[in-house]
Amino acid sequence: MNRTIAPKYTKAQSLDIEFPHKIELSNGISLYHLSEVQDDTVKLDIVWDAGSKYQEKPLVASFTNKLLLAGTTDLNAQQISEKFDFLGGYIAHDIDKDQAGVTLYGLNDKISDIFNVFNEAFADAVFPETEIEKLVEIKKNNYKVSQEKVSTLCHKEFNKHIFGTQTAYGRVAELKDFDNLNINDLKNYYQYYLNTKPVLFLVGKVSNQFIEQLNNWTKTIGQKKISLPNQAFIQKQGKVVIHKKDAIQSAIRIGKLLFTKTHPDYYKFQVLNTILGGYFGSRLMANIREDKGYTYGIGSGLSVLEDAGYFFVSTEVAKDVTDLTIKEIYNEIEKLQTQLVSDQELEKVKNYLLGEFLRQSDGPIAIMENYKNIYFNNLSENYYSDFIKAVHSVTPKQLQDIAIKHLNKNTMLEVVAGNV
Amino acid sequence: MITYQTFTLKNGLKVIHHHDKTTPMVVVNTIYNVGARDETPHKTGFAHLFEHLMFGGSKHIKNYDTPLQLAGGECNAFTNNDITNYYNTLPAQNLETALWLESDRMLELAFTQKSLDVQRQVVIEEFKQRYLNQPYGDVWLKFRPLIYKQHPYQWPTIGKNIDHIANATMQNVKAFFYKHYGPQNATLVIGGNVEFDTVKNLVQKWYNDIPSREKYIRNIPAEPKQTEERRLTIEREVPNNALYMAFRMGNRLTPEHYAGDLLSDILSGGKSSRLYLELVKNNPMFSNLSTFLTAGWEDGLFIISGHLLPNITFKKAEQAIWNQIRKLIEQSIDKTELTKVKNKFETAKAFQEQNLLNRVMNIAMYDQMGQLDEINNERQKYDLISANDLINFAKKTFVKTNVSILTIKAK
Repeated sequence: MNRTIAPKYTKAQSLDIEFPHKIELSNGISLYHLSEVQDDTVKLDIVWDAGSKYQEKPLVASFTNKLLLAGTTDLNAQQISEKFDFLGGYIAHDIDKDQAGVTLYGLNDKISDIFNVFNEAFADAVFPETEIEKLVEIKKNNYKVSQEKVSTLCHKEFNKHIFGTQTAYGRVAELKDFDNLNINDLKNYYQYYLNTKPVLFLVGKVSNQFIEQLNNWTKTIGQKKISLPNQAFIQKQGKVVIHKKDAIQSAIRIGKLLFTKTHPDYYKFQVLNTILGGYFGSRLMANIREDKGYTYGIGSGLSVLEDAGYFFVSTEVAKDVTDLTIKEIYNEIEKLQTQLVSDQELEKVKNYLLGEFLRQSDGPIAIMENYKNIYFNNLSENYYSDFIKAVHSVTPKQLQDIAIKHLNKNTMLEVVAGNV
Repeated sequence: MITYQTFTLKNGLKVIHHHDKTTPMVVVNTIYNVGARDETPHKTGFAHLFEHLMFGGSKHIKNYDTPLQLAGGECNAFTNNDITNYYNTLPAQNLETALWLESDRMLELAFTQKSLDVQRQVVIEEFKQRYLNQPYGDVWLKFRPLIYKQHPYQWPTIGKNIDHIANATMQNVKAFFYKHYGPQNATLVIGGNVEFDTVKNLVQKWYNDIPSREKYIRNIPAEPKQTEERRLTIEREVPNNALYMAFRMGNRLTPEHYAGDLLSDILSGGKSSRLYLELVKNNPMFSNLSTFLTAGWEDGLFIISGHLLPNITFKKAEQAIWNQIRKLIEQSIDKTELTKVKNKFETAKAFQEQNLLNRVMNIAMYDQMGQLDEINNERQKYDLISANDLINFAKKTFVKTNVSILTIKAK
């Protein structure tokens, strides 16, 4: 046996992508259901267009979301939690800039009861003052702790300047905003939840009665449309420094406003990004971690929201090599613009990405996450198969063109937080 | 229910196959019976540094990652105080690529100076990023030596200090490899859409010629029973005062582990838990408060920790926790509360076992704990616990002569 010769491998086959079954509930509300589950677990997401971009005042969207199930006229937060817990139910409150909602986790013999508790708490949410005060206190504390981290300082500053502070995406909460919250803000925002259409995603073997139970619930929800916020993005270019006394590492974030998943260059850019900093074998990792040892980790990505997407490189490095690292990041970007990616490296990245598709669609919950991606980004059902085709067919020349077109150094925002 | 089949090679390597026909993937997981507990006090952090070096090329294969990525695979690893675990996830048809890579680094590493030089730096940056450049980041560096006077659990996996990592030599690396990384000291678990016969043939092909090395016999002195209360206060530039209490308890393999786990959930698992309701919510003294078990394989700790509200003194906060413990012991736990935490456990377990990688890692851990045949009895173990068991556990564990208390005073 010759150990120097690698065994033969085959490329991951393109997947037959499974789609959830769509069920129309009342009031034009849709339920997407995957029932092919091997065990008794059930996961239900209920998602509204109620993310932080719709708020008129900082923190209102997230506080409303977190306190949706924190008290009714008859039940206090403790009683509601006890009911969920006794049923073995887990509740997650999820919010990002675009969407907000609630996820219920449970076993199928209890999911109907768990949903009833949700319904009872949700329908008559009163946002008790004591709960608001408590959450303000906890979140203020978390805020203060996170302000001590260079990674947080850097990320926040980057967020402001990548979108512009006047836009809904670019606004960042400050400490004083916590004290300006009041119960009426939350009660008003709650009307979004009551009056606008959510979408439901269900993974699990459930009875027809449970589907009917969901249908009955949707009869209680209104059909209003909400107005979209102003999002005229203005990205800052050039360098921003946040000084953090005594920091022994600096956090670095470099990037630019780019595009969403429907842009014609999106697939090719994803391949390019993978080469640059999208996996363990990437050029940034190879150079800045595996060759120079400047950092524990470095990566790049394309972060896509509903109304915009941005490219970023992110790392934390030893204080003394902050400038050297920034220089190397630009060197790696420039190499992509001036030299063709070798066939060998491209082959590696393509195969890795195909394997990654398999990993990301393993199991019903993962498959539903893929579907949510299609749903929320308004993509076609061919999105994943098109992506796989595009990965297979992209050429070194196309990647170089994409790098020249989209990664011009002069268009970048560069944020450093540290003792610099 | 997790199903599996095992076989053992002549060189001592134990292999476990777990079949899952619903996935297109295979996970190849290698667990080595070595962790930070096997280090000497003046060379700490070495097991973890070594884990990094395992990706720096092996005897016949210059680069570990590239062939794996070509086969659509991804890998990672982690080290804790007890074990070191390596895992690869790749399309099932490419199983052999992972076995080729894993077997070659079990046979022998490349031992390049470049890899050692770079990974020392990488680990030092990891040390800074996780432990030094974060508020409260160095808690466990300070707390462990207060709790453990003899046992190697007195240092964290990252090591006692940066110098230990900076001073690691190639000679240390080689010695560590031959002492701990042989087939007799590992379990290989292969789970996913691959047949038993295929697994057996391929494992024999790639692992049969790896020589068995001397079996490492662990001889770690047990930490003596604690007989006095211990305290340490440190000052840091942090936003809030923080309190950490560590109570010695039975290790991961003892029945106490299960009692401690349920009791931890009763005290701080979610918004209907006792400490949350009493001390965060209703009579607020903490802005957050949590309990958890360290679940070490040689010795366990029950940890209670939280951040104090600005107007609350350490004395008052600590007293409040003792009062809650007294109340628990005096008033016991009713059936509803006990059923509640058991139901939550059942749901969490079902979701956790959905994931192939979790199942495979669990098999590896149970095997190395010497409890593989117990892997499907967890639920039963939790079910059998009574309120009385929990109260007895609390009475035995939560006593002043069994606690170490670390307070972090905000500067």
